[in-house]
Amino acid sequence: MGRSKEVNLNECKMVVPLNTWVLISNFKLAYNLLRRPDGTFNRHLAEFLDRKVPANANLVDGVFSFDVLIDRGTSLLSRIYRPATAEEPQPNIAELEKPVTAEVVPVIIFFHGGSFAHSSANSAIYDTLCRRLVRLCKAVVVSVNYRRAPENRYPCAYDDGWTALKWVNSRPWLQSQKDSKVHIYLAGDSSGGNIAHHVALRAIESGIDVLGNILLNPMFGGQERTESEKRLDGKYFVTLRDRDWYWRAYLPEGEDRDHPACNPFGPNGRSLEGIKFPKSLVVVAGLDLIQDWQLAYVEGLKKAGQEVKLLYMEQATIGFYLLPSSNHFHTVTDEISKFVSSDSIKTIGERIMQCIGPLLCVDYVCLFKCFLG
Amino acid sequence: MLRYDSTSSSAGSSSGSLSSSSSSSKPPQQDIDGLLAGAGYKVRSSELRQVAQRLERLETAMGNSPADFSQLASDAILYNPSDLACWVDSLLTEFAEPPPTCSSDFIVDPVNNQTVVNSAWTTAEPHTPQVHQNITYDEQQSLDNQLTVVTAMEEDSGIRLVHMLMTCAECVQSGDLSLATSLIGDMQGLLTHVNTVCGIGKVAGHFIDALSRRIFQGMGGGSVNGGSAFENEILHHHFYEACPYLKFAHFTANQAILEAFDGHDCVHVVDFNLMHGLQWPALIQALALRPGGPPLLRLTGIGPPSPDGRDSLREIGLRLAELARSVNVRFAFRGVAASRLEDVKPWMLQVNPKEAVAVNSIMQLHRLLGSEQTRNSPIDTVLSWIRGLNPKIMTVVEQEANHNQPGFLDRFTEALYYYSTMFDSLEACRVQPEKALAEIYIQREIGNVVSCEGSARVERHEPLAKWRRRLSGAGFRALHLGSNAFKQASMLLTLFSAEGYSVEENEGCLSLGWHSRPLIAASAWQAVPAWDNHMSSS
Repeated sequence: MGRSKEVNLNECKMVVPLNTWVLISNFKLAYNLLRRPDGTFNRHLAEFLDRKVPANANLVDGVFSFDVLIDRGTSLLSRIYRPATAEEPQPNIAELEKPVTAEVVPVIIFFHGGSFAHSSANSAIYDTLCRRLVRLCKAVVVSVNYRRAPENRYPCAYDDGWTALKWVNSRPWLQSQKDSKVHIYLAGDSSGGNIAHHVALRAIESGIDVLGNILLNPMFGGQERTESEKRLDGKYFVTLRDRDWYWRAYLPEGEDRDHPACNPFGPNGRSLEGIKFPKSLVVVAGLDLIQDWQLAYVEGLKKAGQEVKLLYMEQATIGFYLLPSSNHFHTVTDEISKFVSSDSIKTIGERIMQCIGPLLCVDYVCLFKCFLG
Repeated sequence: MLRYDSTSSSAGSSSGSLSSSSSSSKPPQQDIDGLLAGAGYKVRSSELRQVAQRLERLETAMGNSPADFSQLASDAILYNPSDLACWVDSLLTEFAEPPPTCSSDFIVDPVNNQTVVNSAWTTAEPHTPQVHQNITYDEQQSLDNQLTVVTAMEEDSGIRLVHMLMTCAECVQSGDLSLATSLIGDMQGLLTHVNTVCGIGKVAGHFIDALSRRIFQGMGGGSVNGGSAFENEILHHHFYEACPYLKFAHFTANQAILEAFDGHDCVHVVDFNLMHGLQWPALIQALALRPGGPPLLRLTGIGPPSPDGRDSLREIGLRLAELARSVNVRFAFRGVAASRLEDVKPWMLQVNPKEAVAVNSIMQLHRLLGSEQTRNSPIDTVLSWIRGLNPKIMTVVEQEANHNQPGFLDRFTEALYYYSTMFDSLEACRVQPEKALAEIYIQREIGNVVSCEGSARVERHEPLAKWRRRLSGAGFRALHLGSNAFKQASMLLTLFSAEGYSVEENEGCLSLGWHSRPLIAASAWQAVPAWDNHMSSS
């Protein structure tokens, strides 16, 4: 056991930049302190350790934010991030909810990760990530502070996501000028990706249009032990044991991992054939032990005739998108930006780039320049 | 129980507080890894490798005894998670061998006693765009530019009201009083259509009144904060009962004082604002239960003189003495009557050089701030004599707000969002008349912030970041409040308060807020010994 641990640590260090390694290792060790073998969670210590940042209605790097209490009953808060516009370089404090002015403004409802138990909308890592999303996509981002496990099991997180979706859809100030509708995308990483899928599912018969799902390393699983789980267990920050713990904490007591929340295309899943499900962008990290489940999810969507694009980042570990210090980060952000803007293409150049689409790990700008000679 | 004081950390780890006055020649901010700072962690780029090595040691140690972990985690007291180097060290001390004092490139694996050559990072780092790594982390700038807003769903009329309030405040600032006056009239009309139960609607009325007073009565505004001391005490007591802010303040300060008094047989608490002495029964009882027995406790309570011959300070002192007697704590009380804190002179406190002193200031220091930053202003004088007392600890609790800005509009805006958040939190209170009187208590604060100026404006709240700079500059260093204080504050909230309150840890200080907006912040300080302080002012 000792020997292979040394090997693991060394391999792991070689694929991530030093600061990413420090960040994710720190989380891993801290999280080990918080999970108790009896299934309870040291919530006080978790909140003490979580690094949080307040919202800031003053512009910082072109983005301002404020918190809104969406549902008093469940204390559901969301943090709204908005870009400064050319017309209003410095937003007026009294006009936080001023109508968006552009023809099309994507509104991304973001669900932070944390395996259903950790983090909050005001966690520093997620505040930073959401600000990047705003700048990248020229979007409004709504980060939902959903209720967490084990105190709040399935379906609380999905209920909160659904509440947020309804709220966003009914805000007049979020409607794009072009068609007076709110252009909604659902996004999330880890458990947030799982939530995005299930909220999109709930939206299907509701008449609320979701334009796309962006799933970053989404958290899925199942009873079976897959090849990637066995091969990568404990190698890159994550163990099967901790994955099992989080599912036990989130799923209803007594349920196993083939519950549809965990395994949407498994034995208890629902077929999406013939259903109007949003197009999906799914990012899978090649060193994530649950990738077989994520790839199965992508297959499940394809088999049901749904539009899905897979971005498989071979040498990426979990959490690679938290710090912009790797090439993976930039590839993914480029894809997300295209995914969100493809519904409102303005230039020929952008149309061409969209056609080139399926190629991975290519510098699009370079290619475009070559194309023009 | 391990008390980890980051100021006496082992060699190689960075100092616990960025605002420490005895820092190294290179300003710490410039060496901080900008990307980790964005994640809430302060690590010097030059120390990244060391921190990584320590994380590895910790992982190995944890791997050896996984079952003991979460139990140990429940019992351990941890401090300042932002300072990653110190935090990892404190965990190592809890769970494993203390870190080596010299950094080396070799880690000895305690399980196999093999030496692991740790050279992987020297050659294999993937290409990183250098521009990202060297972001200058400007903490000062990010802190000064802060405006936190939490809103609830507002109807259109609520939003219109906010617009009008802002416009009116702007007019007041620019001197256009006739427009301001007509806006007051419009707003009063609009109030009748707005939901005044919660959010902006609730608090708007008070702001309209305060603006109106400012316009019509000028800024002496004496009557606003001029209720009698007796009235103020009653309102304060109801504010204490109706919401958890003061309980949090007392509780957190007491915890820190209790720890500071550990091992001392003669202790002396100086309370800058005794009121009804609500803070002290809990401390007296905690001292009574202290292993090894209680110390001799002296309490000096400062408060305004009472009119009509009553000695209210003494009355409170007597009640506390009775309680102390009932739990066998030797106790002595002294009251110091002063209308203003700056009138108190240290000799009045009769501090004995052999006793451990705790200075306790719950929302008092801001009253010493004038609008002009002159030398020898009341705050400087008072901080200087506190330092002269060489207290074991100084507990400071202040409103987490920026209500002392020179520009009226900025101050008004901040206050509008601060107090609407506070009022919102009060909605959860179900008991009367506590709730109604608590609202009047807050209303008076609003009146003072908005309609008073000069010496009449005493509610000069400043945010924790400013207090940190001020106190560090005055020769104090932060004592970190740890995870146990945090946990007990959270538990207090769960037991006694409604959903929606949140406790946060910020570089060793704790704050209590409503949803994500901190409203009150608690910190603990100690005087830096005179020979250590390179920045002492003459």
